[in-house]
Amino acid sequence: MSLNKEVLKIRERQRIKPSSPDYPAASWTGEDLVEGVRTKTLTMIFKSAGCYWGKVGGCTMCGFVYDCATTPPTLENYKAQLEKAMRKAGDFSEFMVKIFTSGSFLDEKEVFPEARDAILETLAEDSRVVKVLVETRPEFVSEENVEACLDILKEKPFELAFGLETSSDRIRKDSINKGFTFSQFVRAAEIAKEHGVTVKAYLLLKPLFLSEKQALEDILHSIDDAAPYADTISVNLCNVQKGTLVESFWEKNQYRPPWLWSIVEILKRAKEKYPELPIMSDPVGAGSKRGPRNCKECSHELADALRDFSISQDPADLEKVDCECKELWKKVLEADDFTYGAPILE
Amino acid sequence: MTRYFEVEQRDGAARVGKLLLSPTIRTPCILHTADLGKFEDAERTERTFPIVDAGSLWTEAPEILEAKLRQIRTKTGEKTLIIRPHQAYPPAVQEDSRGKIRLPEMELNGAVGAVLRSGAEEIPKSDLYIMEGAGSLENNARKFLEDLLDLKARIPPDTALYTPKLALPENAGVLVYLGVDILDDTRAELAAYSDIYLTAAGSFYLDTLQEFPCRCSACAPTTPEEVKALPKHERAELLAAHNRNALEAELALVREKIRAGNLREYVEGQCRVRPWLTALLRLADFEQTYLEEKTTTYRKNTLIANTSESLTRVEVNRFARRVQERYTPPELDILLLLPCAAKKPYSISQSHQKFLHALGKYKKYVHEVIITSPLGIVPRELELTYPAAHYDVAVTGHWDEEEKNWVSSCLESYLEKHSYGAIVAHLEGAYREVCERAAEKLGIEVIYTSTGSPTSRESLSTLKTAVETLCTSEGQNWKTRNVEKAKYDFVKGILAYQFGEVSELLFEEKASEVPENAENAERPENTEKQQKTENRNIAIKGRFPKYHLYSKKTQLATLVPQYGTLALSMEGAEMMVSGGKYLVEIDDFLPKGSILAPGVIAADPEIRPNDEVIVIGKKALCVGRALMSGQEMEKATRGAAVSLRHVKKL
Repeated sequence: MSLNKEVLKIRERQRIKPSSPDYPAASWTGEDLVEGVRTKTLTMIFKSAGCYWGKVGGCTMCGFVYDCATTPPTLENYKAQLEKAMRKAGDFSEFMVKIFTSGSFLDEKEVFPEARDAILETLAEDSRVVKVLVETRPEFVSEENVEACLDILKEKPFELAFGLETSSDRIRKDSINKGFTFSQFVRAAEIAKEHGVTVKAYLLLKPLFLSEKQALEDILHSIDDAAPYADTISVNLCNVQKGTLVESFWEKNQYRPPWLWSIVEILKRAKEKYPELPIMSDPVGAGSKRGPRNCKECSHELADALRDFSISQDPADLEKVDCECKELWKKVLEADDFTYGAPILE
Repeated sequence: MTRYFEVEQRDGAARVGKLLLSPTIRTPCILHTADLGKFEDAERTERTFPIVDAGSLWTEAPEILEAKLRQIRTKTGEKTLIIRPHQAYPPAVQEDSRGKIRLPEMELNGAVGAVLRSGAEEIPKSDLYIMEGAGSLENNARKFLEDLLDLKARIPPDTALYTPKLALPENAGVLVYLGVDILDDTRAELAAYSDIYLTAAGSFYLDTLQEFPCRCSACAPTTPEEVKALPKHERAELLAAHNRNALEAELALVREKIRAGNLREYVEGQCRVRPWLTALLRLADFEQTYLEEKTTTYRKNTLIANTSESLTRVEVNRFARRVQERYTPPELDILLLLPCAAKKPYSISQSHQKFLHALGKYKKYVHEVIITSPLGIVPRELELTYPAAHYDVAVTGHWDEEEKNWVSSCLESYLEKHSYGAIVAHLEGAYREVCERAAEKLGIEVIYTSTGSPTSRESLSTLKTAVETLCTSEGQNWKTRNVEKAKYDFVKGILAYQFGEVSELLFEEKASEVPENAENAERPENTEKQQKTENRNIAIKGRFPKYHLYSKKTQLATLVPQYGTLALSMEGAEMMVSGGKYLVEIDDFLPKGSILAPGVIAADPEIRPNDEVIVIGKKALCVGRALMSGQEMEKATRGAAVSLRHVKKL
């Protein structure tokens, strides 16, 4: 059984709850940096036909695959989802829109071109929308579809986001089962750059099987490798999502999400090295059992500091919180490389 | 061939040994985990690190690791053990999901270690094996034992086994008992940084402690109160110092227990601290073969049977099995069942003296078998044999259900196999209950002769009358034996227990002594069981218990009263060789003093440490005592296999 088959077996056991294709899987508002300026954001996760990679197995940490629609949505369904999501930005004077599906917005088998174009057209016509970001796997980026998107969006800034996860092909294959290579990301990023489209790279801190220190160092390497191609780097902290291989190891006490001190360390060091490159992290689920965490005392406070830093890009925000558990984290870094298949759970 | 690990002493599966590195490490040992990555430091400081991890394939390319490997070896020399690059996975991963990346095959002189998972097809050559995922298996006794035994069955016996991220003072004893040689301080350090104080009796949160239950150098000068008030780093370092001390002290104790040969008694108590440790011990007992192969046939210590696991330990099981399978009772018609006595051997105890006195002249009719817990039944002939004269139990007069079941099942199987004309049971209380259960199951009639206390005047007289009545009853022609025959049966019983069927070779008449007739013409090649009649040349000399077995004027064997075993003479060994049992085959050399494992070509897999063995090679025939199991003799490349007593040049 390959890693992919193991993931697939778990996928097959999950039930996707039937839900209305007229509502997005989720949508929320927040803040982000646009051209260095703090800007309101509207994030929408469309129910699409589903991630093709996730359907045949897919990534070991990804539980978003279950967010797809039970039957492929129609054009009307997509329009309805967009309309409902946009209501949340009703009183915003200007904002950035971030579009996600459970897979790739540019995969025409997942989101058919008419739906894609209709969504982009609506956003292009809305003068309050200052920037549009869409997420896709790099193999779906082509000269043609990038140009098609730009034709609709006209002057509106456009950004492509990729779940690169790591620049290590070994980790992406043997741990994450991502199904593409670093060079595929580079190709997609270059197409984007040629067309004046900005690139955001998502990295994944602490995928399965890596020690705390290996995970930390992998992200630092990955930032070095991705910096020439990415305009923004966002580090996702691996959390334990339902129906994933990560969850099955976590349930057996064989996986622990990353420490928040690790991301603090990464951001400090990366910011020092790349002061001009926006580097951020949204610590989803921080402090919970399934999320990245330190001790009970400091997790939430530190998560807030990380959010502050993500907007301010000011390293001082990372120094705001200190806690006794940092000493334990240092010990974990020291020993976790030598546990040989028994991750430290503290 | 292992050049860097040597086992010096064994106690069951546990062993004391040393890793011949620079510096030498006494095992079982605790590694300081953080040092495993410190090779570069070796250049800057005077300190040398005997074990170095070469790195992980998760984060480094094979070419880089290969170069690193060579670099470490060049800089540190052959006496630094290098852990080969690895791509480690937790136990739950499926075999096929593992990465396929490999290092190119490369010769690496000097000491090496390898991460090994259970079920791995290839076993890389190594001096030390790291049990992958061991630290994830705390509280999972079944999987831990399964993986451990799988690895142990496939790695050479003279290599060291390391279970990372598992050791605590509370579990070190059981882990070492099961054959682990190397532990580390990962858990002890992490506990300290989580304000957890470790002891062999379990762990405590620092803030729950009012006093330190330890007088180590870290604890003695201070109090929990003071330690709680320290800044985090200092506090953690102090707790870490204590936790490491506690681990080291526990391991020193365990090493001493191995040297003293009584680790089993210790872990029967120590395993109570955690259910998974108790489960480990029970599961290892259920499996039995792994521990049995490594357990000596006798030892100098008292076997202390204080727990329910005492009933399932190897020595108890083995004794019962051999009584059932190997032992043959003398040809007598009346069985007398007696209760055990605190004084060993039983026959010198006051109670048994009284029983024998009561039997008087009818003793020659009677075969005596003693009922006891936890050994089950002890035929009189085996009362000296380990552990029959070497055990001690907590006596309360009350037997629990498990004990009763066990002992009555032993008696039941015995009576099923051997039938008597009459059975007299001079038993009271639980002893009698055990006998009644067996008798009822088999539908056998038993005459009970004890009324109240077995040693009371009344009981003894009932016993006497009952036996007398039986022996003098009309029409019965019960078999009897004289004193000489009783001695003969005694020695024969032990020999059968010790060597099995082949021991009968000692009682066969030599070809030269046999009157010539057609039937026996082919001997001595004909090893089939011969005539049932006695060999008139055989005699037992000496006073109990210092018996010697003679054939005419040749001494064949001597009883060692301390352990109730027989030591063979050269002549005795010669007679036994053709049986093919307890044989160690050696290469073409003339040995002196002892046989080393590399010199062994083949060995009877039934050989256990301390067994009397016969060594045969082209140049010599020898008699000696096994120092390891037959299997280990064949597989090991280091260490003494047999200690020799007699050597005869061929």
